[in-house]
Amino acid sequence: MSNIAGKAYAMNVITPMRWYTAWITRLIFFVASKRPATTIGLITLSLIHYARWVIIEANQFPHVNDDQPKEELKYTYMMFFSNFNGSWDQYVDSFSSAIPDGLDLFWKLNIRYPKSVPMLPFHKYITSNQIWSDHYYNAYPMAASNDVKSAKKVSGALAAFIADTKNSGADEFQQKYNKLVLGLQHDVSAMGPNPIVSLSAWAVEKRLVEESMAAAGGGL
Amino acid sequence: MANQSGNAYALTALFPILHGVPTKCPEGMEGQTHTACVRHLLQDVLRVSEDSPMARVPDTYLSRFCILLDVPYQGAPTVLEHLKSNYLVFEVNFHGTLEPWLAGMWKAIEPEVRSLLQNCYGFDKVTDCASFIDYVKKCQIETTFFFEGSTDEPVAVQLKNLYLKQEFSHFVFANQGKSAAELKAAFEEFVARTQPDNLEAPTWRPGAYQLETATVGRKVMGAGTQ
Repeated sequence: MSNIAGKAYAMNVITPMRWYTAWITRLIFFVASKRPATTIGLITLSLIHYARWVIIEANQFPHVNDDQPKEELKYTYMMFFSNFNGSWDQYVDSFSSAIPDGLDLFWKLNIRYPKSVPMLPFHKYITSNQIWSDHYYNAYPMAASNDVKSAKKVSGALAAFIADTKNSGADEFQQKYNKLVLGLQHDVSAMGPNPIVSLSAWAVEKRLVEESMAAAGGGL
Repeated sequence: MANQSGNAYALTALFPILHGVPTKCPEGMEGQTHTACVRHLLQDVLRVSEDSPMARVPDTYLSRFCILLDVPYQGAPTVLEHLKSNYLVFEVNFHGTLEPWLAGMWKAIEPEVRSLLQNCYGFDKVTDCASFIDYVKKCQIETTFFFEGSTDEPVAVQLKNLYLKQEFSHFVFANQGKSAAELKAAFEEFVARTQPDNLEAPTWRPGAYQLETATVGRKVMGAGTQ
């Protein structure tokens, strides 16, 4: 079981809502999708790779075979999936501290939502409704969301620089190089592995260390 | 459609897990339920990071599997209700559109897909790639709101960009204070070594989590490529 894949954490939360408030929340999401300013807080926080909200009505749980029992639910459910950088506490607290109004806007009509401030009831709400991931994959575990965005800038700037300096003499090259580095000073940085890549990988590495120590006769 | 944001796609699918005990089950799971077998496969059989089967599915940014056993209860006076089936939840973010990506998934990891989904209702009707795509679509739930906080380029481009960022960062640190002629010569060597226009190599391996093993196609002095 692992919610961690390198620098990304997978959060899954499912919360109930009444069918009629679900339609109001759908409208809020629709407006948010048309007005990018609504998500400026999320963009500014800059720690999310991708996130989604999925509203599933009581009769929308997939029924694919006649011998599968049909669900008989009263509530509509909202599922939230996020891929973010940092720990659970850092993520939840940064939402609660930086964009409480935006968070409340999306969740406020859900049953028993306590609001994002104060933090303790909000923490309890998330932990009570969170589902753990059983398998989590990340194409670039060593990169944060900001690294992916910076890498795009570095790559684009390098391509332009290479084309621009093709016929430059050494002095002109150096002048343009210095300008390139100045322009990329927020994006140039080395990446590395996360201390814990995943709980599964951490368990394997721990076991290998124990086995090698046992083989060496050291024990633990 | 909220499933798509630019070139990034958000797929959410809930596969209903069969009730009862499978006739064929993984070794050591005899007598266990389909749900237990699915969890065993996900947690104990599938490898992680660059060895995850999802690393072989083209253009996959991030993906997860989890099992929804029931819906959460919020306490009195709200209604206590239960699901009648368990669901295998598949959440994935990828570059492109749904059908080509699912076809790529089927082509790359059909055995792993079969081992998991054979525990789910309706999968017995899946015989080929086309019926697999139909099956996933039946189990798909439309995304209400998709937030893309990263980029929506192909994964090969993202990985090449990350490789270049890493290498260029080292280049900048290593070449401070050099003369103009030395700097130009060093940069020409950098371009020849990193091949910025070549997406295939050298680049980072999908899912790699250690710098020592991340780069594929790196030129090593006197040893060709690794």
